[in-house]
Amino acid sequence: MHISPHTKMSDLVQSDFELLAVLQRLKIPFGFKEKSIQTICREEGIDLNFFLNLARWYHERDFFPGETLMNHPVKWLVKYLRSTHSCYIEYHIPRIEEEIIRMESLDRSGGHNMQLMLKFFREYISEFTTHIQLEEEKIFPYILSLEENFEKETPDPEFLKTARGYTIKDFLDEHSDIEEKLVDLRNILLKYLAPPSDNCLFTNVLIEIFRLGNDLNDHTILEENVLIPQVIKLERDFHNKFPR
Amino acid sequence: MAKVLIAETSYLVRKGLVSLLEQTDGVTELKAAGHPDTIVQTLKEFSPDIILLNSAIQMPVTHDKLLSLLHDKARFIYIINTPLPEDSPANHISVFDTKNKLTEKLSHHLRQYESAEEKEETEELTPREKLILKHVALGYTNKEIATKLFISTHTVISHRKNITRKLDIKTVSGLTVYSLINGIIKMEDIQ
Repeated sequence: MHISPHTKMSDLVQSDFELLAVLQRLKIPFGFKEKSIQTICREEGIDLNFFLNLARWYHERDFFPGETLMNHPVKWLVKYLRSTHSCYIEYHIPRIEEEIIRMESLDRSGGHNMQLMLKFFREYISEFTTHIQLEEEKIFPYILSLEENFEKETPDPEFLKTARGYTIKDFLDEHSDIEEKLVDLRNILLKYLAPPSDNCLFTNVLIEIFRLGNDLNDHTILEENVLIPQVIKLERDFHNKFPR
Repeated sequence: MAKVLIAETSYLVRKGLVSLLEQTDGVTELKAAGHPDTIVQTLKEFSPDIILLNSAIQMPVTHDKLLSLLHDKARFIYIINTPLPEDSPANHISVFDTKNKLTEKLSHHLRQYESAEEKEETEELTPREKLILKHVALGYTNKEIATKLFISTHTVISHRKNITRKLDIKTVSGLTVYSLINGIIKMEDIQ
């Protein structure tokens, strides 16, 4: 399906329900009635092209609109990524954890395998939380101030000091790979642990881990191919506008 | 069996190759990317065995860097935007090739891969690899393992690469879990 400004929002969701994740992260409320994408974006204060670019990429999965997405204010993407973070922390991760706990409670094998998986996953949660905290508490505020101060006549002196001693490239060095462990967990469950496959619970845990993995992958693509290059450019413009 | 990545900017060519490869035996997973940055990203994460790369794409990294992102047995097939001469290398395909020609060439590469892979499938961890794995799972660094086993760090790293490839597990904690499940180490060992 081709996604156009006049496509009805309800048709869009019906043709690809995975897009619900995008709507949720942009905080678009349900109750679409017969409204088009254009109308809903206007009502919710979301830039139409930003929405279309994201939705098309998620839907068509063909060409990553990196450069097109870069033309929007960086704060939109930050807002989107933040919403994604809270989705992981508040929903996906605890849900998978709960399911592993249930698997453990149902495990009659007498071994410790499920306990091991739980321990492994909890280690992952703590790594994941640290990763997200770094972005939420350090990186995103920096990016937002950078954009905000760039638009001012004179930047905030406090921020100017920070900006001159820091670049987003430092962050790239710290940007750890948060998918590896999840992939390991998936492979262990799928290839080595082999709990009963006639069990809905077990299958569902795997499905959720696959989903989370794919979602994180998209998240990383957005960060590394849109957000970071965009901030690097913004830093350059900033230092040109306010030279030492 | 091979994982294939199509790296091609042209929408039509990309879709065409996807549809062709979907009908070809020996392809386990198929991904396609059009943007140079996405191609690099996918190379890293997907770790394909065969990469169909359009030779006209300006990649953001050097060819050597590209090669370093791939595993040892991976191979490139180049998509050429012009007709090919008679004596063109086996790893060149052209957008002008007929379906038969393309299938023949692609199957040729896939087959070579398959025979190598079949051997691998029966390949389990060697006793040596198990020993290295045990030490990794117990939390030793590469350097410590090298000293303990009187081998070079380089050898340790190469064993570790093979272990990761065979097991599909990358992280140390993942390897530890595997070792516990399979009795290579015991719970008491790490407590």
